[in-house]
Amino acid sequence: MTTPFPNGAPADDTSLRGRPAQLAEDGTWHRLHPLSPLVRAGRQFMSLAIVLVGIAALNQRPARGEIVTDLAVLGVVLVAGFISWLVTRWQIAGGVLRVDTGLIRRDSRRIPLSQVQAVDVVQSGLARILGLAELQLRVAGGDSSRSGRLACLRRADAEELRLHLLALAGARVLAVPAGKPSRQLFRVRPRRLLGAVLLTRSGATALVVAVATGLTVQLSGSPQTVAPFVPVVLGVVLALWRQFNGEYGTTVVAAQDGIGLRSGLIQTTAETIRPGRIQAVRLVEPLIWRAFGWCRLEVDVAGSRERRENSSEGRRQRALIPVGSRAEADGMLAELMPGHPLPSRPAPSRARWKAPLSYHFLAWDGDDRFVVASRGRVCRQTTWVPLQKVQSIRWAQGPLQRRLSLATVHLDAAGKRVSASIQDRDSAEALEILGALPDLARAARSQAAQPAADGSA
Amino acid sequence: MTDLSEVRWLRPSRLLLRVRRIEVACVTVPLAIAGVLAGRVVSAATGIGIAVAVVLAGLLAERFLARRVTAWGYAEREDDLMVRRGVLIRRLSVIPYGRMQFIDVTAGPLERSLGLATLRMHTAAAASDARIPGLESAAAAALRDQLAALGEAQAAGL
Repeated sequence: MTTPFPNGAPADDTSLRGRPAQLAEDGTWHRLHPLSPLVRAGRQFMSLAIVLVGIAALNQRPARGEIVTDLAVLGVVLVAGFISWLVTRWQIAGGVLRVDTGLIRRDSRRIPLSQVQAVDVVQSGLARILGLAELQLRVAGGDSSRSGRLACLRRADAEELRLHLLALAGARVLAVPAGKPSRQLFRVRPRRLLGAVLLTRSGATALVVAVATGLTVQLSGSPQTVAPFVPVVLGVVLALWRQFNGEYGTTVVAAQDGIGLRSGLIQTTAETIRPGRIQAVRLVEPLIWRAFGWCRLEVDVAGSRERRENSSEGRRQRALIPVGSRAEADGMLAELMPGHPLPSRPAPSRARWKAPLSYHFLAWDGDDRFVVASRGRVCRQTTWVPLQKVQSIRWAQGPLQRRLSLATVHLDAAGKRVSASIQDRDSAEALEILGALPDLARAARSQAAQPAADGSA
Repeated sequence: MTDLSEVRWLRPSRLLLRVRRIEVACVTVPLAIAGVLAGRVVSAATGIGIAVAVVLAGLLAERFLARRVTAWGYAEREDDLMVRRGVLIRRLSVIPYGRMQFIDVTAGPLERSLGLATLRMHTAAAASDARIPGLESAAAAALRDQLAALGEAQAAGL
């Protein structure tokens, strides 16, 4: 990565324009793309458009004052965005990305690149039209105030800068030799995704709402009675659309800098998961999906993506496989965790009394590198945790478990509610697990630290 | 494999029981008074009945407190800290020193007046809950420094 921009910048472009001329570690200050305020104000833009259309549809004759107010709001947003663009600068120097912003309250953010967990390229619909993209840096800790965001850059620049940042961040941990072509591991089938989205809980909700609406219209005989359902329908449709939009065309490739993940219909996201940064892998098999042999594979990576604009999406875990067959999931698992164990040790049969609904899914297994545990009532969840990533081990025993001489052991990985629960084991076995796991985890940690002293977070 | 039965458990200060008792009293007494006032709307007997019920519940909780307080324990092992707690639901956490992100020592007004403090360890996992309540302030500070030193020595990457 000596020349991050082999093509070079046009001569008339200065370094303080949207296109960074030289991205080598020279500490030059760069500015974001001049059109970024427009993209950032995109949401307001859209809502204004919707309001205008709504007013036009309802009144035919829009009230003049309201439009003026809306335009004024939009103007203020754009001016504020422009000022924010004016005072925002970023540079890369000494392995640190620095982003300075703020007019009245200056905010200078330094992100040590060695601690970056992943770098994402996100494009909203408007950004795609304008050929821009946003760069998001994920840092461990989950707090959004610590993660970095460059919104927006030109798309090509964002891609190249992402590679550059990843090279700066993880040059020492790259196992695959450079120049090796990337290999596609998975690509979601659009039709199956559509079916899968419709067969989730929100899909079922949509169905119920649709049936309820239809029945109401049928029984009352007048279409006006539908009005109260409209917001509900909108909400459900939006949720479905968001999931479909976010996971459409999910493609996973094994690239030289980690596992590349691309997805999105209108808003596209490209991210790279660096090797050795996976905290846990989860295989989810909901009831209806099991009938089709479908499953979902999620990975947990330390550090949350910053999502101020659409926070509802941030709650979902990133799925490497939004929906796929078991064979595809097994192939991906083998790629992520070679030689992974399968949950082959079922819970003792008396656990049926304590967990009658989930007993049939309770199982675990482990070797000296991974622990896997499955649980769930209707929806089966199998979680793999690499022992080197285990943060803490908890043992718990409730009153009913004590009577049945059972106990549960949780293995916590970094993040919120990321843990593998070895549920309802025989007391003696649970104690044995609890006694053995800390030593195994320590051995795995020291083994992982030895081959590549990668200066991780 | 480590034998867990050989672990020597250290216990929080006995004053913790007093803290918990005062806390229960602080809830019970105002609740009983509120019960009397509310019950008087119906009849004086109802008010007294509610108050008696509340006080009885408080006394029951008090009976339970002693067991809960003695259930707390912690053990510093070579590479990790173990914390156990709970009577009805018994829990035991193992936190490797290398995984500690930061350590808090907090003391509420009640705890402070009795010279106690609560030590809390945080890892990168939100679920790992490890706190030791009712440590004497000096002991809590010493333990904090010791844990921080151990954590630094054994720190591991995410």
